[in-house]
Amino acid sequence: MTTATEPYVLNIGPQHPSTHGVFRLRVVMDGERIQDMDMVVGYLHRSMEKLAEERTYTQNIPFTDRADYLAAMSGNLGYCLAVEMLSGVEVPERASYLRVIFAELQRIASHSMANGTFVNDAGAWQTPLMYMFRERERILDLFEMTGGARLTTNYMRIGGVAFDPPPEFFPAIESLVSDLPDRIDEYAELLIDNEILLARSRGVGTITAEDAINGSLSGPMLRGSGVPWDLRKAEPYCVYDRMDFDIPVGRNGDAYDRFLVRLEEVRQSTKIIRQALDGLPSGPHKTDIPLALRPDPGEAYGRVEGPRGELGFYVVSDGGSAPFRFHVRAPSLINLSLLREMAVGSSLPDAIVALGSVDIVVGEIDR
Amino acid sequence: MSSTLRQGRRRPATRVPPGLMIVGAVFALGFLAANAAIGYVVIDGRLDGQWYDIRDLGFAVQELKAQLDAINDDQPGFLDDIVGQHWMSYAVGALLGAIGILSFIGGALLVLIWVERRLIGRMQIRRGPNRVGPYGLLQPVADAVKLIQKEVLTPDGADRILFLLPPAIIFVPMMTAWGPVPWAPNMAYLDINVGVLYLIAVSSLTTLAVFLAGWSSNNHYALLGSMRTVAMMISYEIPLSIALLSVVLITGSMQLSEIVQWQADHNLWLIALLPIAMVTYFFSSTAELNRTPNDIAEAESEIVAGFHTEYSGMKFGLFYAVELGNALLVATLVATFFLGGWSLFGLEEWIPGYLILFAKLSAAYFVLVWLRGTLPRFRLDQLMRFAWQYLIPLSLFNLLIVAIEASLLARWDAPGLVTLGLFTVVNWGAAYILFRDWARRIGYQPDAGGPRRAELTQQVGGIEAAHRMGTAT
Amino acid sequence: MESLGIIVAFYLLSAIAVGGAIGVFLASDLIRALAFLVLSFVATAGLFLTLSGDFIAIAQILIYAGAIPVLIVFAVMLAPLAGRNNGNGLYLVPGLALGAAVAVTVAFVAVDVEWNELSGALLAERDFATTANAIGNALVGRYVLAFEIASVLLLAALIGAIVLVREDEAT
Repeated sequence: MTTATEPYVLNIGPQHPSTHGVFRLRVVMDGERIQDMDMVVGYLHRSMEKLAEERTYTQNIPFTDRADYLAAMSGNLGYCLAVEMLSGVEVPERASYLRVIFAELQRIASHSMANGTFVNDAGAWQTPLMYMFRERERILDLFEMTGGARLTTNYMRIGGVAFDPPPEFFPAIESLVSDLPDRIDEYAELLIDNEILLARSRGVGTITAEDAINGSLSGPMLRGSGVPWDLRKAEPYCVYDRMDFDIPVGRNGDAYDRFLVRLEEVRQSTKIIRQALDGLPSGPHKTDIPLALRPDPGEAYGRVEGPRGELGFYVVSDGGSAPFRFHVRAPSLINLSLLREMAVGSSLPDAIVALGSVDIVVGEIDR
Repeated sequence: MSSTLRQGRRRPATRVPPGLMIVGAVFALGFLAANAAIGYVVIDGRLDGQWYDIRDLGFAVQELKAQLDAINDDQPGFLDDIVGQHWMSYAVGALLGAIGILSFIGGALLVLIWVERRLIGRMQIRRGPNRVGPYGLLQPVADAVKLIQKEVLTPDGADRILFLLPPAIIFVPMMTAWGPVPWAPNMAYLDINVGVLYLIAVSSLTTLAVFLAGWSSNNHYALLGSMRTVAMMISYEIPLSIALLSVVLITGSMQLSEIVQWQADHNLWLIALLPIAMVTYFFSSTAELNRTPNDIAEAESEIVAGFHTEYSGMKFGLFYAVELGNALLVATLVATFFLGGWSLFGLEEWIPGYLILFAKLSAAYFVLVWLRGTLPRFRLDQLMRFAWQYLIPLSLFNLLIVAIEASLLARWDAPGLVTLGLFTVVNWGAAYILFRDWARRIGYQPDAGGPRRAELTQQVGGIEAAHRMGTAT
Repeated sequence: MESLGIIVAFYLLSAIAVGGAIGVFLASDLIRALAFLVLSFVATAGLFLTLSGDFIAIAQILIYAGAIPVLIVFAVMLAPLAGRNNGNGLYLVPGLALGAAVAVTVAFVAVDVEWNELSGALLAERDFATTANAIGNALVGRYVLAFEIASVLLLAALIGAIVLVREDEAT
């Protein structure tokens, strides 16, 4: 006996609790099963790359805050690295350490958010998210203390960082770093052995290592699929070559593994911050650069390991005070491109969990 | 820590609008006055010159009805020939019960919304509502006023008549299901002899309202939500009914007051005797209630709000109230069936039974809130599999054991301590073995699916490194 | 003589039941027809209540108002031909014929039975306060064979349904 059901189109988003912003999924479903999926992006497009061609190199830094607004520090850092490569500006050692500290703090904040919203997508009623927010809040307090802003920090500068941290910064970060391992254990206790979370995310959204590489994935998505690739080790920038840390990799490549990888990366980031704080030299925090930097004609590609993956900034100079071309390699967009492969054939709840495990930031996808 | 730098303006506390204050004051004063009047009538012995205390409101109502009957017998009313004798006492009983249930649910909802939000807030290391009124206590009132003010939308293409009905229909089972709950000895509104069956029957009507809401909304999310609800309800009504059947078997009655009386007589709560039934009932109820971890019918992250996606204003408010009222009802029924109802090992002589029951239902309700604050959500197929492969066989096994025990109890003339003690030990042993081994039998492996920690490596590389480490899949 | 309350309730409930039944075949929308059907069933349950048949009334609500609509809902959702329309009159003539036959039978029985004999001695010896007990005792006592046969039949139907919908694993 056969029962005939008709496929229908379901618009998930642009306003939907699980799309993390204005992102739209056009899903063809048969009952609860997904037959086809279109991803529609562009609702948050602000034309940053074009706008950047009209502004000076320094004026472009705030754009990088607003691309990936959950990891503004990483965006700042990647862009500044690219411009420094282009113009040959030297960075003082203290600034490099501070950059590492703030980039890692940002990674912790972003991964906390990612894991919290991921468990939320799996159906927990906000509780893990709120717990994750607790540490994120302290990190944002640290940002505020140092640079005055919490979310869109605009902290890194070409040739260093904008401000030296104030004296009260150091006891605060000490207490945070000493608290963090316990707190991570707390989340792990709540979530890692949770049968429901296991049932919901094990084997969901699986990507093999080959597919991950072929899909040009990066970050926790790639490492969750078992490929030990991390720019901080593969192509160390700042002072990451002096830090001792491990790369966490998953075994199955499913949503749960990505969650584990992110949880473990928070631990590793804590380790890096501890080492960077211990090794923080004194000295200037910034090299003075001309108000309107005019690099020699040429091009540079600066990339960092952002919380979501390889965050690259391609900057072309024609000798003027504004970049001739500015392009962002947004890891969210590229990681998202495999969602269709993950979701088609599975059910709607699985697709939502897979989407949550990608950890997209729509500001970065659309720019 | 950062207080030296962050000097946010201290915001003045939100002012309660005067209208809201009047509404709250009228409500609270009316409630207090009604209770005071009842208390006065009861305690002062106005009914029959005898002194009653507040412990036995039900008896007072009965006495009131008896007085009315007596008046009726002395002076037959003009309606007696037409609508029958004692119509007055029936009407008074019905009215008192309806007012009692309505004001209890209304008051409890107002308090419990606040309690739930505060509790969840505490669980989520936030404060919860604390702005409107003292300790945020008027927050539910403010929410209700806001909902009433909001526009009630009817989406384009919706079936207008059917769209109108469900919020009203869904309120009926929630209200009527409170009828048979015994609050104290003699204090049940509708103490019918088929109470358990009545509860199951009445709660099954919710399905229809939910389905109509989803169908008439002309919205895919709503339709998905309602289909999920229908599928869940037909699955979980079976273990739920079987769990209640075992209660009926052991107590030998479908009357709720008798079930509580049995527990009071034997000084044994059924949670001790029927652990499997208790767990089955509680879990199935959360599935029927759409509460986490089984809230797939209104799974926020997937289908927005499920069947009531398109409802706004007070129509949504009704769904919300019914959901909470049903949660409260389930807590009450768990307390009644498995936690001894109004009985407390003889202490009910001194403490009013309804207070004991309220304490127990609060405990059960706390567990519901706790679950909601902790757990993620199952997937539809997982829940269905759980019902059909796990809960239904388990509850059938349990029913078999309980049937044997019930027939033993009827035939074996031994002291209750011996039989019931033995049964308790046997049932807990059976529960332990069944819960563990049946899960294994249907293929659950606790440590399957690979490691639960990410592997740490110092290596860097692409696919070769992954193959070298053996992590490539 | 019954009191007026019962009589009024009887006529009211009957009107709702019959009206709901009329609504079922007048409604053009299948789901509206379903809603009318449930209304009719609930009114019938009320009729049982006026006859002190509390068990049967609750069984009526449980099965006909709670379970049957779900069945119909699944039929509507899964059957290929069922749109939102209430049929196309394909079975109008056979349906009318069947309805007429049933009506004639009911009328015949209603006229033929001596209702006064029933209401007196026969009803008096029934214990209506414990209908659930009486039905339970009857089911596992006097009518146990029929009860068991019915349960076996239902089990067979259940297994048959599973076998029918199970997809061939070879293909």
